[in-house]
Amino acid sequence: MRLKTIILIIMLIPLFLVGCYDKKELEQQAYVVAIGVDKTDEKGLYKFTFQIANPEVGSAIVGGGSQEEPKETVSIKGSDILTATNTANSFVSREITLDHTKVLIASEELARSGDFIRIMQSTARTTQIRRGVQILVSKEDASEFLQNINPKMETRPHKYYQLILDRAKETGIIPEAEIHRFFQITEGDADLFLAIYATNKKAKEKDDGYEDEYVAGQLPKEGGNNSQFMGSAVFKEGKMIGTLDGQETRLAHVFDPTLDMDDLLSTYPDPIKEEFRIGADYSQKSSPEINIEYNKNKPTKINVRVPFQIEIIAIPSLVDYSQNKDNKELLKKTIEESLEKKSRELIRKTQEEYKAEPFYWSLYIRKYFKTIEEYEEADWNKNIYPNAEININFDLERLEFGKMLNDSNLTEVRD
Amino acid sequence: MKDHKTLKTRELFAMMTIFVGMKLADTTPSLLSSKASNAFWMIPIISFIVIIPSFLLLIFLLKKYKDKNLIQLLEAILGTYLGKALGFTIFLSAFLSLSLDSRNYVEQIKLLYFPESPTTILYFVFIGVAFIGAKKGLEVIGYSSWIGLPLIKFSMLLMAFLIFDRIILLRIFPIFGDGLDVVLTQGIKKASIFSELFLFTIAYTAFKDTNTFRKGSYLGSFVVIFEITFFFLLYTLVFDYNSVGKVAFPFHDITQYINFGDYFTNVETFFMVFWLLAAYMRFIIFLYLIAWIFAAVFNIKEFEPLILPFAFFTIIIGMIPDNTLLNDLFYRDRLLNYMTPLFISFPIILWIVAFFKGDLKKT
Repeated sequence: MRLKTIILIIMLIPLFLVGCYDKKELEQQAYVVAIGVDKTDEKGLYKFTFQIANPEVGSAIVGGGSQEEPKETVSIKGSDILTATNTANSFVSREITLDHTKVLIASEELARSGDFIRIMQSTARTTQIRRGVQILVSKEDASEFLQNINPKMETRPHKYYQLILDRAKETGIIPEAEIHRFFQITEGDADLFLAIYATNKKAKEKDDGYEDEYVAGQLPKEGGNNSQFMGSAVFKEGKMIGTLDGQETRLAHVFDPTLDMDDLLSTYPDPIKEEFRIGADYSQKSSPEINIEYNKNKPTKINVRVPFQIEIIAIPSLVDYSQNKDNKELLKKTIEESLEKKSRELIRKTQEEYKAEPFYWSLYIRKYFKTIEEYEEADWNKNIYPNAEININFDLERLEFGKMLNDSNLTEVRD
Repeated sequence: MKDHKTLKTRELFAMMTIFVGMKLADTTPSLLSSKASNAFWMIPIISFIVIIPSFLLLIFLLKKYKDKNLIQLLEAILGTYLGKALGFTIFLSAFLSLSLDSRNYVEQIKLLYFPESPTTILYFVFIGVAFIGAKKGLEVIGYSSWIGLPLIKFSMLLMAFLIFDRIILLRIFPIFGDGLDVVLTQGIKKASIFSELFLFTIAYTAFKDTNTFRKGSYLGSFVVIFEITFFFLLYTLVFDYNSVGKVAFPFHDITQYINFGDYFTNVETFFMVFWLLAAYMRFIIFLYLIAWIFAAVFNIKEFEPLILPFAFFTIIIGMIPDNTLLNDLFYRDRLLNYMTPLFISFPIILWIVAFFKGDLKKT
């Protein structure tokens, strides 16, 4: 009896081996952190670039310091991402795994061609690419962009992407561009999707812009990493139609209640000494109020009120704004007007040039319709939005002046 | 049949919420959302309203007839042959839905976590575990459900919590999705998503006293409808109207999407463990109840040896459909539609017959 039991148990042990079908050693896998996609001359064939992280570099376990590169970037032609990973195995020694992908980079050429959405479809089908992957559009070819990314301080590529994208998003100069959002907006077919715009190449520098009035490539800078992430690529129906600079992207953040931005330092014209500008920390405690008054046969009215707060961080002109009441009022008005003016320009650009908005405002018109059919018939992005009357109102609720009561008095300093 | 009768309200409650509540994390939401877009979260409410009177009626009859389980009740009211025939029909539909459902779960596990393993092997392992669990008997199943319940519900709530900052309330509009008519017809047609509540009545006499059964089933069914609606609404708010119908496994899609902060990314395996636990519990309960119903119809006293052949047949039938999509969108869709009238009408028929026989006046 005991012998029988033992034999039975021994016979059952091999059953546990069925768990080994999907066994994969960590060592056998190559973790891709960035995928680049480029157009080729042939239709339906794309160039895929995989940036593979080397987990050995930068980890504390390797005591002696490994001589290996922190990453390897390879390009291969193929018709979709997953089959390309197999082809790439002819020269990459490990199984290419996409589970840890952080960014998906499309070249501007591909993004503008309208083929981009075909690539995106295949990413939704596989379980390997997560919905949290960020979409990035590079000005040059994605393969070139990835080859030239060479951060000096962050040798580990996954950390680099995570940190730079997170920080740039906090400041609002690049948008939140998850694949999840891309599908919601593209399939919803009512709004514009904003992807991150980046480049490694210097374009003609734009010297006259203020702190955020650039798109990637235009920043006049010295030293540091060559890669610039700034502004956004505008997608309409899955096809890129233009770019927004950093400032416009920040405004899009302000108007879009589904996005948030933590840190917005920016300058405003000084109302008294016009050659100077005033540095301020913009913050928003509550979402903008968006009221849409839908009219079936005449233009729809959209009223937007943005409550915000300002903390002044620099007054290079040394004019007394904090204690002088008139000056304070003047400053308040100037800031509001400056923001409203910029917003009006952006709104006009979206209404006339793009004929759709990147603020996700289609959400607010939905309540006027009972069914999807009615909603789609009314056609937000072709019919309602381009003809709408839009009224933007910035409302400065609190103006603070940091921890100084007053600036140094220039005449007293220089007597 | 073992007759310890130690099970109480809480065990029934746990079994019901796991057994039926699991539907929020399988392909049921995608089946419904492909029909009604963003308004699909209303379907379970309508289904529940449609089917709950029949369920309450059945409970009422069981109370009147005292100490009879589902099949004994059918026989007592409709006579032996007719009762057995109806019992057998219920068994057949439940068994078919067990087979198709289990195939669905296996496909999900394969697609998401074990892409290289053959479906057949996964199926055998999955049903094998369910078989071993079911073989342990109702008491063990009840206790394990009660122990597993907090873990399962906690992981689901954690998921809901982590996805909460991604939801946009306004996505609920346009409120009726593809139209009120679609929502209503689908709600009525798919009322059978709650048919599994009826299967528990086979265990009516197995609880400490019948009062605990009634309390447990009321509590269980109301919690189930609440959580199913809550999660369906969550899916709508996360995915929006055009995408929610395209996502095959919304629960797993969300677990792949969320992170515990920046450091712990790709955490879906954490949720998978609890999901798998719930899935096992679900099929353990399913298998056990089906074997019981079958045994009751054919007057088999010891029904636990029946579990093995039923587990085997489940795999055989479940392997018939070619792929998940066909299985889910065609077979399961049809089966749910056919089962609805059966489960809505049989308690009413029972009540009418019992009423005219004069049985209801006795007590």
